[in-house]
Amino acid sequence: MFNSLYRNLLNNLVSKVVFAGLLTTTLLASPQLSAKGVYQSGPDFFAEVFAQQQPEAGVLWLNSSIRQQAEKILGRKVLGLRVRYQHSAGKTAWILNEIGKEMPITIGVVIDQGKISSVKILAYRESRGGEVRYPAYMAQYQGATLTDKYKLDKSIDGITGATLSVWAVNKVAALALYYHSQAMPQPESTN
Amino acid sequence: MKSSNSIKTNIIWHRRLGLSVFLLLIFLAISGFALNHSPALKLNKISLSSNWLLSWYGLEKPPIKGFKLDDKWFYKDGSNLLYADKQAVAACSAPLLSVAKSSNTLYVLCADTLHLLTENGQLLESFSQLDGLPVDAQAISAVDNTLYLITDASVLEFNPESLALNPAPAIDPASLNPLTAQLPVPESLEKQLENSGPSISLETVILDLHSGRFFGQFGVLVIDIVGLLICILSITGLLAWINRLRQTK
Repeated sequence: MFNSLYRNLLNNLVSKVVFAGLLTTTLLASPQLSAKGVYQSGPDFFAEVFAQQQPEAGVLWLNSSIRQQAEKILGRKVLGLRVRYQHSAGKTAWILNEIGKEMPITIGVVIDQGKISSVKILAYRESRGGEVRYPAYMAQYQGATLTDKYKLDKSIDGITGATLSVWAVNKVAALALYYHSQAMPQPESTN
Repeated sequence: MKSSNSIKTNIIWHRRLGLSVFLLLIFLAISGFALNHSPALKLNKISLSSNWLLSWYGLEKPPIKGFKLDDKWFYKDGSNLLYADKQAVAACSAPLLSVAKSSNTLYVLCADTLHLLTENGQLLESFSQLDGLPVDAQAISAVDNTLYLITDASVLEFNPESLALNPAPAIDPASLNPLTAQLPVPESLEKQLENSGPSISLETVILDLHSGRFFGQFGVLVIDIVGLLICILSITGLLAWINRLRQTK
């Protein structure tokens, strides 16, 4: 028992050190720390996600129950009566906005079979905290699903100086998973 | 005899000085106390935006202008929120350019986003530059239930179902009559935005009053003189106390 606890702790420590190393390397390699800007347009994001597929456009209407849950996840009022997405073979791609500190961050989230396949910052408008867009950070979201309490089932390591941006990405990732569950309901189990 | 006269003169001047700075001294004590405890009193969170105060600080509150369409006013406040009558419906950080109505949908064009609203003024969705809205969008106009987007270079037809923009070579740009001239919004709507736009914190006002800066260089000079008078007051007070001690001996 002690051995397995020790092994878990060691694994956790190693993964955190590797993550920190990757993030530091990426940051040092970056020519510009101020990450303000638009990195990819919506159509380009969808084209990249569904490169080998012919996606269909979908519309999720936010009825009162969906809206209520979405507002719980984001912790604020949700504007808009409908949300658009693209889907193909159980995979959906969403472009959602959430305020970091003062400005909205536009985030693209891809869900495949109920799990996050990728998360990407498409536009970052804050002057600080843009480190969240680096692949080493975004890779943490891969495979995350939604718990019964509508939270991500994976612990996401924060970034010093980008706490609010990290929270914003976490919320959007959870919201995209929730929207996916509403847009692509799983068939009832026959067991 | 000479000594008795100088004592009397000292006391008289002490009284005069005391009376002359009495009110200012109390104000400085109270304002200083308030500034010392500003975080606890949350003075920096209290915003003041009355017109006379803003004009005193040289801040102008621009008149709120907007568009009237279908008995509804569309305008934005100082916090870049788009309003449909009294209801905040969406963010509009870029200039508000134009509004139009086609079928059952209202369209509001901010320079970087086209908002689609229901007839009741509820936001359906937003179509931004990231989604494909041209950066040079200038105005929108609806003709025969079709929405046209006018850019610097061309006229595009907007499909509200697919959010697609397609060239509209058949339409004569002269036949489009976009609503682009903004009018001052009614007073009833303007009143509800009194707390938006430029404001000054109560902490700043108290600090400026305390230092005299509120009244410009003249105010600073007055506070300097009061400070000097307080010094003299304490000296005359000390002398009066010493003289009294000597007399009692």
